Amino acid sequence: MESGDRLDTHFDSTNLSGPDLLVDASKRRFLQAAGILVAGMMLPKGYAEITERASGDLEQKVLLVVIGGVRRVETFSGDGLVNIPHLASDLLPRSLFYLHARNEGVTAHFNAISSILTGNWQRLDDWGKVAPATPTFFEQFRKSARVDRNETWVVASNKALTSLIGASSDSNYGPAYGANVVFPKQLMLMAVEEALRSGRTENMADRSKVESELENAMQGSNYEGLGWNVFEATGRLDPRVEGTIKTAIASFVRDGGATSGDELTFFMTREIMRKFSPKVLVVAFSDVEAAHFGSYSLHLAGIHAADRLSYQLWQEVESNPAYRGRTTMLILPEFGRDPDGSSTNGFFNHRAHEESTMDTWMMALGPAVDRPQIVERPIRHIDICPTLTALLGCSPLESQGLKLTELHG
Amino acid sequence: MTISEQHREDMRSALEKGVLQRLPITFLPFVNQQIREWVYLFPNERQSVEKLLHYVAELSTGESSALFKDVIQLEEKMGVGHWHFSTTEQTIENASELARSPYFQEWRRAVQAVFDAADQYALQPGSAAEEVQHRLVILDIPQTLVVDPSIVWRRWQGIGKSLNLGPFTSANDREFFEFLLTPSPGEPGTPTSGLLNAPGNRRELSSADRWFLDAGEGLNDLSWTPTASTNSSLGFISLSYGRLGLYRETFSHEMNTMRKDLADADDVLDRLRKVDVTAWCPPEVSADLAVKEFVRSLFLSGNGAVLFGNSFVEWGASEAFRRARPSMVAARFGMRAKPKPFTGVAVFDNPNQINPAPSVDDLAGSAADAEILALYIWLAATRYAEYRSATVCVVLAESISQAYVIAPSEFPLWQEAEPVSRSSLKGALCNWMA
Repeated sequence: MESGDRLDTHFDSTNLSGPDLLVDASKRRFLQAAGILVAGMMLPKGYAEITERASGDLEQKVLLVVIGGVRRVETFSGDGLVNIPHLASDLLPRSLFYLHARNEGVTAHFNAISSILTGNWQRLDDWGKVAPATPTFFEQFRKSARVDRNETWVVASNKALTSLIGASSDSNYGPAYGANVVFPKQLMLMAVEEALRSGRTENMADRSKVESELENAMQGSNYEGLGWNVFEATGRLDPRVEGTIKTAIASFVRDGGATSGDELTFFMTREIMRKFSPKVLVVAFSDVEAAHFGSYSLHLAGIHAADRLSYQLWQEVESNPAYRGRTTMLILPEFGRDPDGSSTNGFFNHRAHEESTMDTWMMALGPAVDRPQIVERPIRHIDICPTLTALLGCSPLESQGLKLTELHG
Repeated sequence: MTISEQHREDMRSALEKGVLQRLPITFLPFVNQQIREWVYLFPNERQSVEKLLHYVAELSTGESSALFKDVIQLEEKMGVGHWHFSTTEQTIENASELARSPYFQEWRRAVQAVFDAADQYALQPGSAAEEVQHRLVILDIPQTLVVDPSIVWRRWQGIGKSLNLGPFTSANDREFFEFLLTPSPGEPGTPTSGLLNAPGNRRELSSADRWFLDAGEGLNDLSWTPTASTNSSLGFISLSYGRLGLYRETFSHEMNTMRKDLADADDVLDRLRKVDVTAWCPPEVSADLAVKEFVRSLFLSGNGAVLFGNSFVEWGASEAFRRARPSMVAARFGMRAKPKPFTGVAVFDNPNQINPAPSVDDLAGSAADAEILALYIWLAATRYAEYRSATVCVVLAESISQAYVIAPSEFPLWQEAEPVSRSSLKGALCNWMA
């Protein structure tokens, strides 16, 4: 049983009328604000940006950014915009914005991301012990286009994921067509544990020594233990992968900025983009999950970080010649979080069968977007896989999800 | 015969009639676990199980089948019979299987309907209906957590009213919250008893009827409690995050060590359920079996109770409402440190052990956490009928000398002119609970 109530059944929705009304009011204000922003994009400058990217036969790339669980009220609502200045002000005016992107499956991390990647609602073990039951778009793309594994990557902060997220258990597809999966935050945890075990904890307080602790952890661990599957048959890292990770660690430590798991994930992602230029890249941020520990302020800090890092990823797309003008970037939360007053302890968790938990949003940027607009029609997370597969030039497999008509290559 | 004795007799009779065999399979882990852990239950929890079993035992076979029809049909649709489903205790695997089922929400509603029917039966004429009692939820955002008066009550959406408080002039140089909770002998114009020892209005008073939860080190002065002269309990339940430091640290260390050795989360849970925690507990916790197990369950169920004092207070209060339905919950928020560089991700363990850099208080973050968690405590209370009519809620924001008050119209404090003196506040609250 979940914690929370006898038999985990008690849920009194009468307490929710207040917050729900608040969300409605915020939504109206958000739409008004967004309408002004989008109207601004109808000016010639906006058209100039759009025509620039519609430049013919460039191969399509896809960058999918999944933020953990965030509620609408803390993000795209009147009161929430303050937490997402980059998404709201820098990216929204040039985006195709789906106001309602719904997770109607299991609102737990492994299942949510599996559903996004496969186009079918997955109902798997929450601990990532079982691979998705139907093919991911990595597998569909790799098998159809006959591309190398290094063209498809997952870089994730979330501890609830395992390397099984990279490929399904479908016997016609499976790991042979799966993506490289790396979990930078696990590397950081490993470094902390190693430092603790060997009495070198003072190194974790000394910025100049953290880099070597992280590199030691990488050298001393087995990669399967870290949840990675980028190693070769010998169990060693490809030297190019190893160099990429070391550069990412050095940037992370020497940058002098914030030091969260999502920061390391960002640096790793950017380095992978620079070294491998994969056609398909999935990034999962999870600092927002500090909410599980009951700190609202740390949860908001996680939202701010995801906002900034998503924007920095888009800046990398725009400045990196391998990506500029040919990359469609999608940004969405895995799900919302539970409403204030729920028996599941509100923002702490994401398991209430409530709109606050299931109803999120999605932003699309890049050449697949004809023109900036806000789409109020609800879409589902399972619509993402067939859409991305089509963008990559493959025929999507039959799935529960439907291709989004607003996005096309 | 008291109400408790009558309930106990009813349940014994129900069990003898084979009532457990009438229950759907998904009821069994909960009911079996409650019966097995009877000594660890609070009076309210015992009554809840007793009411259910007595009600089912009183039904004819046909009525019983009708009561459980929806649940049993859903169990068949869910395929519970094919699961590795424990009927003896609630497991993570059980919860996981249920939550993954597309029929989970329907099942929850159907189960709740059964409990509602049992509650209704217990309220029928001739049954021992609960009297309406005055209750109090009092929460303290202390002086050190500075809040912004222009937004601090925004989340409450006008369900109560903010009152300005007068200066604090206790002769005993005590903190304001402790002044409210504990006796004030010899202070003119102030009630001599405190909220924690004011005469109660419940017919069957137990220590589980009044709770004090603290993100800090607990009450400074316990000289007025029975413990001071005897080895008995305090007379109320006192849980302090600071005083549970050894428990928390040992518990989280055990949890993290076991995670590396045991593949299955249920094994971890099982081990932690059985670990003898007595040596890790302060006396006020180890002295009471139910409280000792309450703390274990609080830490096992997550929600940050092991890591952050304010989460401990919120989740502890929420669980107290759910499990014990106390007439009074007093809770005080506190400070947490900022996450340390590079080890912020490793918050599952003691950050001071991982990173020797000095801790830095997160003033703004702690205040923001306290603001929303205070609301959550109140919302947790109002999920239960007992707190929806005759309950007063007072949230103190000491840094701005304000209290946010939700109370029925007859609450005498509404008649006071502002600023309300702190002695008047104490008097009104003590009278409410008398």
